[in-house]
Amino acid sequence: MKVSCDGHARAALEAYFNKFLVVSGRAGAGIGAELASMKVTEQIDAIEASAVNPYKLLAATRILACILMLPLLTLAADFCALATGWVSQTLVEPLSLRQFINSGFSGAEFSDLLPPTFKTAVFGLIIGLIACFQGMRTRGGAEGVGRAAMNSVVLSSLFVIVADVVLVKLIIICFP
Amino acid sequence: MTVEDTTREFNMDTTDCIAMKPEEVEKDGGEPAVAVRDLHKSFDGQRVLNGISMCVRRSQTVAVLGRSGTGKSVLLKLIIGLLQPDSGSIRIHGQDIAGLTLDRLGEIGKKIGFLFQQAALYDSLTVGQNVAFPLQHNKKQMSSSDQSDRVTELLAEVGMEGELAKMPSAISGGMQKRVGLARALALEPDILLLDEPTAGLDPISAGEIDDLILKLQQEHRMASVVVTHDLHSAKAIAGHLILLNEGNVVLEGTFEELQHSEDKFVQAFLRQSQEDTCRDRRD
Repeated sequence: MKVSCDGHARAALEAYFNKFLVVSGRAGAGIGAELASMKVTEQIDAIEASAVNPYKLLAATRILACILMLPLLTLAADFCALATGWVSQTLVEPLSLRQFINSGFSGAEFSDLLPPTFKTAVFGLIIGLIACFQGMRTRGGAEGVGRAAMNSVVLSSLFVIVADVVLVKLIIICFP
Repeated sequence: MTVEDTTREFNMDTTDCIAMKPEEVEKDGGEPAVAVRDLHKSFDGQRVLNGISMCVRRSQTVAVLGRSGTGKSVLLKLIIGLLQPDSGSIRIHGQDIAGLTLDRLGEIGKKIGFLFQQAALYDSLTVGQNVAFPLQHNKKQMSSSDQSDRVTELLAEVGMEGELAKMPSAISGGMQKRVGLARALALEPDILLLDEPTAGLDPISAGEIDDLILKLQQEHRMASVVVTHDLHSAKAIAGHLILLNEGNVVLEGTFEELQHSEDKFVQAFLRQSQEDTCRDRRD
């Protein structure tokens, strides 16, 4: 049983990192490429020429969406992890859902749920900021759009991993 | 008339326009709509504008001519505040726009309509939504039915009333320019900046766009700056021409003055433009 739980924990950790790398890949590349495409076709200039602040309209809204959605995505991912964990556990060794939850949450505390969940808002901020920055400062044509999308993915993935290391340390210090 | 004489004459004229006496300002109907003085702009060490000065009075149309890459579009982007000059001043209705914040610049931007070279329509919005965009963000007190009436009116003005629900990718280049023009007019600007309005269009579509611009100028009485390398189009829509070369004003005046200039660059430009026009007609 102990070995099985360690296996689940490792799988959950991998899924946890994969989730943010997928988000930084999908959302980061999407935002970066969309804004870069708007930039090279002068659509962002057209927004500014229409007396509208493009940073408020395009960047602020996307960054805010990333900040709000990543904690929600984390909660959804946590729920899926619990559900699939129970299914895989039941397939190996039948266990009731009540027993699985009781055993899973027996040692869990407040600090195990909220700080790691809200930590992901920082990841959202990083992904949104980097993708918007890369998109809105694009130069050149199709090549520039490709470069902006690639830089958005690479830089946001890198900074999410670095931020995670720092934030985990902070959480351990603040919630010993 | 030599280049030096023309340049001196131009600078005096521009200086007069920029520093008019109060009674002259009153006589002229207020401050000039656009006054540009000693404007310099470089990109990556390459000098694009080298001390340009120009003045556009209310209800006046000025065409800025020149070869490709001579800084014509950069001049327009500086006037609307999309780019910042390295030095020099730009005044819109007497107000210097250098160093203004984006929000403050937006207030001045409401008085300026801009038609981009490639129309720059928002590709995820329909034709109607493109024209409605400036209204939705700047005239929030306007009801949605008033906004849609205004959009229909603007599209009718440019002959595009039936294309409201189409996406920009589903209409031709000439039609995109018309929609871009309708969007530029949405906030009823005092100044209209047109960046190569006929570039990339066949001669018939280009002629239609020229006629449309003339009609709109007569109806709205706006100050207009038209950037073009098409001499035929410039002659049709503007009473006043400015010829740029390598970031400098080579000549400023009427079409007749341009034709009678003895400057070698002006003559070469005229000769090449006439050859291009003949080739277009043959094609």
